[in-house]
Amino acid sequence: MDAAPGLWSLLLALLLLGPALAPGFVLTYDMVWVPDLGLGVDALGVGSGLPRAVPSDAVVAVLDDVIPGMLLQKLVLVATLTAAGAGAAALVGGLPLLARCAAATVYVWNPFVVERLVIGHWPVLVGYAVLPWLILEAGRWRRESSVRPHLLLLLPLGCLSASAGIASGLAVLLFGLGRGRLRNALLTLVVLAGNAPWLVAGLLHAGRATSDPAGAVRFATNGEGPLPGPLAALGLGGIWNREVVPVSREGALAVLALAALLLVAGAGLRAWWRGTDRRDAIALAVCWGVGWGVAVLSWGAPQALGWLAAEVPGGGLLRDGSRLLVLSAPLLGVLSGHGVARIRAWFQPHASATVVASLAAVLPLAMLPDAAWGASGRLHAARYPDWYDATRTAVDPSRGEVLLLPFTSYRAPAWNRGQKVLDPLGRYLGIDHVSSDELVVSGQRLAGEDPRGEAVRQALTEPTPGARASALTDLGIGTLVVERAAPGESPEVAGESILTSSDVRVVTLGEARERPVPDEWWLAMSVAWAAFLSLLVTGVTWTLVRRRRDM
Amino acid sequence: MGSIAGIAASIVLGTAVAVGTVVGLVSNQTGAPSQSPANAESPVVNYGTD
Repeated sequence: MDAAPGLWSLLLALLLLGPALAPGFVLTYDMVWVPDLGLGVDALGVGSGLPRAVPSDAVVAVLDDVIPGMLLQKLVLVATLTAAGAGAAALVGGLPLLARCAAATVYVWNPFVVERLVIGHWPVLVGYAVLPWLILEAGRWRRESSVRPHLLLLLPLGCLSASAGIASGLAVLLFGLGRGRLRNALLTLVVLAGNAPWLVAGLLHAGRATSDPAGAVRFATNGEGPLPGPLAALGLGGIWNREVVPVSREGALAVLALAALLLVAGAGLRAWWRGTDRRDAIALAVCWGVGWGVAVLSWGAPQALGWLAAEVPGGGLLRDGSRLLVLSAPLLGVLSGHGVARIRAWFQPHASATVVASLAAVLPLAMLPDAAWGASGRLHAARYPDWYDATRTAVDPSRGEVLLLPFTSYRAPAWNRGQKVLDPLGRYLGIDHVSSDELVVSGQRLAGEDPRGEAVRQALTEPTPGARASALTDLGIGTLVVERAAPGESPEVAGESILTSSDVRVVTLGEARERPVPDEWWLAMSVAWAAFLSLLVTGVTWTLVRRRRDM
Repeated sequence: MGSIAGIAASIVLGTAVAVGTVVGLVSNQTGAPSQSPANAESPVVNYGTD
């Protein structure tokens, strides 16, 4: 019976992902997977830009040497959603099966999961999946005298991006602190080690770790359909980008879904509060409050978050206001589980009790029907065109970095059914590259944070092709890859064409100036990666020793 | 609670599930596409629309 919530969650995951599991890569907005990701300076946190994909890119780059990238992406997506549901069910482990499945349904089948999937924030979703398990383990850490290695294994998974790491770290500290100074210090160290890669990389870039303040307004929590931002966030919706919001959230169904969620969760409120350890209950409520509070702050006062992003290094982490709603989801899942258990108890001993509780448990599916089958086809698999391989073969990594033109961030290629995606070509090449990090939202340009981006833009405005080539080689760029079908300008640059087709043009420039990474940066990041890996190594070793001892 | 109440609750919840499904599917099929197709004339692909 214990496997049932996991199987139910797996079923939900398969139903939600649908066509995304077909052969090919799911490429949507920020979700870019390639057959073999390179372990370059950006992935390791010593590149010139802010560590936006640290440590997730490095983890994928290592894992896809063992498991092919395409299969790895499918495994990550299915495992993420399944673990998320099973984790929510485990949070209400003492309740009847129907109630546990209800908690799993609410946790998996909601606007946050669907919208973040479509916009491609998979490290956030991995953190979301790990969160219930972290909550359970951190609670055990505080309550029980003996400790288990699980926390060490889970925390790195929960910290694959900065925002996921903040949510995971906060939850672990809220639930785990309180059992003596030594244990508190140890737990804090564990949290710091799990977050070390992005934290240290961020500190190395602290001098320029500020963002365009306009981003906070553009990325503020949004209303969905008739629901204003705070109410949309109450039901785990409210993402800034209207393009990824399911159509069913744009009408009356959004109101009905919120009402149903509040009714079922409200039915379980009393039972949950009475039956839960007071400290755990408060920690869960605080998590919910922080997640919802930041989302509402970003809706109500985006300028304040804009000021924070522009003035305080790292302040930009809060500009996507609804991203921290991950912290609100566990309480909603738990209350829904208790609510369904309560509804069932009201109608017992009659047979209708099970029918009523079952209907309440599957209500989220009816309230968000277009989440099914790859969010109604928005999540699909695509195959890279042949010219990607030809380009990878043509580019010589020893000639310096590669510049991708047109110098814009996103593409909407026909081979990906016109679906928008962060230009995947650089990652596909598997070598260090320079691409634009400037964003355009609703026609407004948001300045990038990588100073090299601005330097490249300047170099491309030089008056002659020769001058452009010279300026680019000074920046360490030795090869140019021009994607012909992509919208945007590609100024002529002097060099030797080594590959020309209707899709792409590869040009080698003169000898590129070397851009060595400072030794102090390598040293700092080595310490950070060692701390991150030490959690995994210690966790695995500890688990093996325990198993051997228990045999 | 009596069986009549149970039946009534089943009907209410069942109706909600059915209405939700139908309304959702209909609105999904009839709603305007929220994402414009790629426009070759556009100089830059927007990250999104707020």
